[in-house]
Amino acid sequence: MGTILEEIISATVDGDEEKSVALARQAMADGMEPFEVIQNGYARGMKIVGEKFATLEYFLPEVMLSADAMTAAIEVLKPYFKDRGKQDSRGTIVIATIQGDMHDLGKNIVKIMLEADGFVVHDLGANVPVRDLIDKAEAVQADIIAASAILTTTMAHMPDISSILDELGMRDRYMIMLGGAPVIPQWAREVGADGYGEDASEAVAVARRLMHKKRGGE
Amino acid sequence: MLGFWEVMDRCDRGPLQKEKQYDMQIARTAREQAVAFDIRFDPESVIPDDDDLADRLYRAAVAFFVENGVYCRDTGRLVRFSRREVEEAVKNAPRSITYGQGKDTAVMTSRKVEDAKPPFITMTPVGTPVAEERFVAMMQSFVQEPLAQTFSSAFSQTVNGRAIKAGSPQETEAAIWNVIKLREAARRAGRPYIGIHNLVTNAEATDATLAAMQPAFGVLPNDGLGIAAISELKVDYERLKKVVFCRHSGHHTYGLYGPLLGGFAGGVETTAIIHVAHHFLGLLMYDAQWHCGFPLHLHYGCNSSRDLLWLIAVTSQALSRNTHSPISVSPFSAAGPCTDMVVHEMCAISIAASVSGANLLACAPARNRHPERGTGMEARICAEAGHLVARQRLTRTEANRVVKSVLGLYEDKLDDAPLGLGLSECYDLDRLQPTREYVELYERIKEQMGNLGMDYSLL
Repeated sequence: MGTILEEIISATVDGDEEKSVALARQAMADGMEPFEVIQNGYARGMKIVGEKFATLEYFLPEVMLSADAMTAAIEVLKPYFKDRGKQDSRGTIVIATIQGDMHDLGKNIVKIMLEADGFVVHDLGANVPVRDLIDKAEAVQADIIAASAILTTTMAHMPDISSILDELGMRDRYMIMLGGAPVIPQWAREVGADGYGEDASEAVAVARRLMHKKRGGE
Repeated sequence: MLGFWEVMDRCDRGPLQKEKQYDMQIARTAREQAVAFDIRFDPESVIPDDDDLADRLYRAAVAFFVENGVYCRDTGRLVRFSRREVEEAVKNAPRSITYGQGKDTAVMTSRKVEDAKPPFITMTPVGTPVAEERFVAMMQSFVQEPLAQTFSSAFSQTVNGRAIKAGSPQETEAAIWNVIKLREAARRAGRPYIGIHNLVTNAEATDATLAAMQPAFGVLPNDGLGIAAISELKVDYERLKKVVFCRHSGHHTYGLYGPLLGGFAGGVETTAIIHVAHHFLGLLMYDAQWHCGFPLHLHYGCNSSRDLLWLIAVTSQALSRNTHSPISVSPFSAAGPCTDMVVHEMCAISIAASVSGANLLACAPARNRHPERGTGMEARICAEAGHLVARQRLTRTEANRVVKSVLGLYEDKLDDAPLGLGLSECYDLDRLQPTREYVELYERIKEQMGNLGMDYSLL
């Protein structure tokens, strides 16, 4: 038997929710620091899961099982977070598939990977008007507004995110991240996005970069 | 035989299920059948020459479909079918579909594995984005191709200078514009009555789609619509409303199925089972007269990878050996026009599909997402490879040898494929012909393919 962190990594990789939750309880009973447990246990497990997904050793259902196992464990750890503010999460993201578009598979993958990386993600689902995205971002004081489109017609709603934020005088409050099958980086830049994700793992890297920038980094 | 409205009743009365639960179980259910029927991917046998494998895959797909059913997103219910209902739908499925009128009439039928009958060729850039001013030129570059038997649309980035927003009045305007311009391209190419297999590809909303399907805009009574399943094995009311319209208007419908290898469908074997099962969805829920598959790799976004070629071959064989429904495969390449790689990829996919009994819906270069990266030339490359397979009476064993050799030329570049040139860079837009550079490139690769056994003199 390895250390408890090794067991947490293993339970996360295996998508074993029951074991993952039990280990979270045990770690707290042992007086471990919850963020240490997340950072060096669950997050490291999810990193391995991400690597397995990239090589198709794992498929989406396995990734979701692992993400569920980690999410359930984090629920156990939450009461132990003392006086920790927003700085302890990687950032808050509001995500949706844009208006008119019912295809949410890609968005769901990105959401899972972002959560796995430690972001707080508010998922509004599919077919979401730009105003609803912005309203939700305001309500939860999000850092990033992320939108996905699989259709070229629905992609045409994406420029509204930046332009409406401009109109409302709120553009500097949020980073905008776009993705989806018809979206390419040059177009994303042209319509005011701060970041573009080709796939889920790139989306995570971009979200991290945007948070760094938003928190004053370069 | 089960009627359409009985099926719709099941959308309202089937067992309730959470979508996430459905998503999580689908690959697991398919995996059980993969094990039960011993479905295994062999990377060395890209085009398997194994009738028993094809038949086992078909039986696995029936068993899976009966157990799994279809998920209706609007009602949150499972729509289940009995084995007998599936078998009846297969037995009573249409055998042929006639598109076009007069000298442009073309009849699509099913094909057999290693069939001497060439594949039916539907040509389209599969919604590749294009500037409004070049839309008709791009479409004409497809419809003028001699092997094209029907055609369909690119995606104009604007209509009358305005972006097309889903659900807006502009979407309806754009859908009508699209149909008018498609028929204009056909007339310019001297094929005024060629069939349009998918009339509206630039509108998602049902109202916009139906608004455009009017004779006054150049729509023929036997033009049609492609209706896509949502990944994996899901339907919704928007799609079903289009089916109802086509049932009454007489327009053809075909099913579009794009399961994602690596997504909810899982690995290559389970994705193959789920892909075949989509055809039963098409028959039972979409009144589909034919079926088009575009299975894709989750990371590469194309279907020219080794595992996808196997999937295309084995699923096409399963369907052509066990049904009489016309099936088609839509090649998606990673590379763009006027590159060696796009020719290699398109040839590999076309050969795998054609020798396995499929027709071709050609095609989606550069994963159909990069502006202007789609021309009639890539469709020609696909169509010619598919015709050669039939004219040469290529066997699966021979095709496997050719495709494996071609695969070796591009397999390691899928992650970083060249995007190639746009329409205005690789076509002379005045004469609407490929540039000398592109023609010479294709001639050079044809010579290379000739050395592998493809006899282009038969064209």
